[in-house]
Amino acid sequence: MISRLRARTSEAGRSALEWLEDRTSIVSMTEKFLYEPVPTRGKWLYTLGSATLFLITLQFISGILLLFYYVPAADHAWDSIYYIMSEVYFGQLIRGIHFWSANVLVVVIGLHAFRTFFSGAYKAPRELNWVVGVLLLFIVTFLAFTGYGLRWDSEGFWAYEVGMKIGSYSPLIGDWVITFLLGGDTIGPGTLSRLFAIHVWLLPAILAPLIGVHLFLLRKHGEFGAEFEYARRLARLRENRRMREYAREEEETERGER
Amino acid sequence: MPEELQRDPVSRAQFLLMGAMGTFIGAVLTIPPAVYLLSPSIKVLLQGESDVPGVWRRLGSVFEIPGDEPKLYRVEFPQRQTYDARTGEGRIVNAVLVSWRDGNVPEILGDRGAGELSDSEVEELSRRLNVLSNHCTHLGCPVRWLPDRGEILCPCHGGIYSINGEHLAGPPPRGLYRYDFEVRGDGGIYVRHEFDGTPYVV
Repeated sequence: MISRLRARTSEAGRSALEWLEDRTSIVSMTEKFLYEPVPTRGKWLYTLGSATLFLITLQFISGILLLFYYVPAADHAWDSIYYIMSEVYFGQLIRGIHFWSANVLVVVIGLHAFRTFFSGAYKAPRELNWVVGVLLLFIVTFLAFTGYGLRWDSEGFWAYEVGMKIGSYSPLIGDWVITFLLGGDTIGPGTLSRLFAIHVWLLPAILAPLIGVHLFLLRKHGEFGAEFEYARRLARLRENRRMREYAREEEETERGER
Repeated sequence: MPEELQRDPVSRAQFLLMGAMGTFIGAVLTIPPAVYLLSPSIKVLLQGESDVPGVWRRLGSVFEIPGDEPKLYRVEFPQRQTYDARTGEGRIVNAVLVSWRDGNVPEILGDRGAGELSDSEVEELSRRLNVLSNHCTHLGCPVRWLPDRGEILCPCHGGIYSINGEHLAGPPPRGLYRYDFEVRGDGGIYVRHEFDGTPYVV
C-alpha cells in the first residue's frame, strides 16, 4: 500500500517536473546551474565561492528588510537602529543576520580569493574572471566599510572619518575624494546621505551584474584543475609516453636489423 | 576596380561627424550626473565655499585657561550641509583645546580673575594662546591630553604633539590645526570655523 502510494507520488512529481521542463527548461537549467565538476583534491575548498554567493544573497535579503525601518538622517539613523534592536519583532535577528553575515562574508571571500590564488586558478584562460573576482572583493570591502558608518554611532562615525581621511591621501585627487565622500567640507547629514546611497544603491548595483559575469565566466571555462582537465592532461601524457615508446622500439628494431 | 576597393566606405567628413556626435551625446549623458555628484566638491574646492558660515562663537575667557594643561571646550557652529540658508540650519559640534604657549600663563594676567584688557594686552595674549582642533592631522581621530607626560596623544596610531600642537612623534604629517580666533577686550576667546589648513572632517 505504502510502496504503491510512494510510486504514484513520485510519478506525479515526475510528470509535474516534465510539464515544467517542457515549458520553461527549468529542470535542465537548474541542473546546469547546480552541477559543476571540481577537482577531487581539496574539494571542500571549492565550496567557498558558493558560500560567498549565499552570504551575499543573505545580505541583500536582510538589508532590504532593514530598510523598512532604517532612517538615513543624521539625527535619526542611530535611533532607528536602536528601534530595530529593541522594539521591532525579530529586529535583533534580522540585524544580527545582516551584521554577522557581513563579517563572515569578508572572511569567506578572502579565503575564496586565497584558494583561487594558491590553486593557480587565475591563469589563462581565466585571467578575466580573476580580475572580476578582485573587483568583487573590493566592492564587498567597500560595502562592509560603508555599512559600518551607517550605524552613525561613535565607533562607526570615527571609523568612517578615518577611512575618509585615508581617501584624502590619494595623490592629486585626494581633496576631491574626501569632499565627495563628505558631501562638503565637514561631516554632517550630507555625509550620511552619501554613505547610504553608496551602500544601498551604488555598490549593490555594480555588484549584482559583476556576480553574473563572474558566474558566466566560471561556467565558460570550468573550475581550474577540474576532473575533465586532469583527464585531458592524463590522456596527453599517455599519448606522449606511447609515442616515445614507439620511437624507442623503432630505433631498437632498426639497430637489430643492422 | 582597384580604385573602387581602395575607397573607404566612410568618408572623412562622415567619420568626423560621427566622432563629434558621439562626443556630444557622451558629454550630454555623463557631464550632468558627474557634476551633480561632485557639486559639494566643486563648491568647496573651486568656489571656496564652506558648509559652516564664518560666524564667531565664544569659547570662554582667557582668565580660566590653566598654565600647565590645555582646557577642553565644546563649541557649536551652524552647518548648512544639505540645508539651504532659507530652509534652516543644522549644527556641528567641535572640541577645541585651548592652552598657553609652552604651558606658561602670561605674567600680565597675574592674579587677575577678570577685568577689561587693553589693546596691547589683547595683542600679547593672542600671541601666547594656542587654540587647537582636537582632530589628529593623521587620520582625524580625537586627540587627548596626557597629564603625566605633558603631551597630547592620538590613541589611534600614536601621534604625539606638544602642548603648542607641534608634531613631536608618530605618523601625523604636521602639527594640530589651529582655529582662527580672537581675544576681545573683556577677555573672551572667540573662534570661527576656519583653520590654518584643511582639516575637513571636523
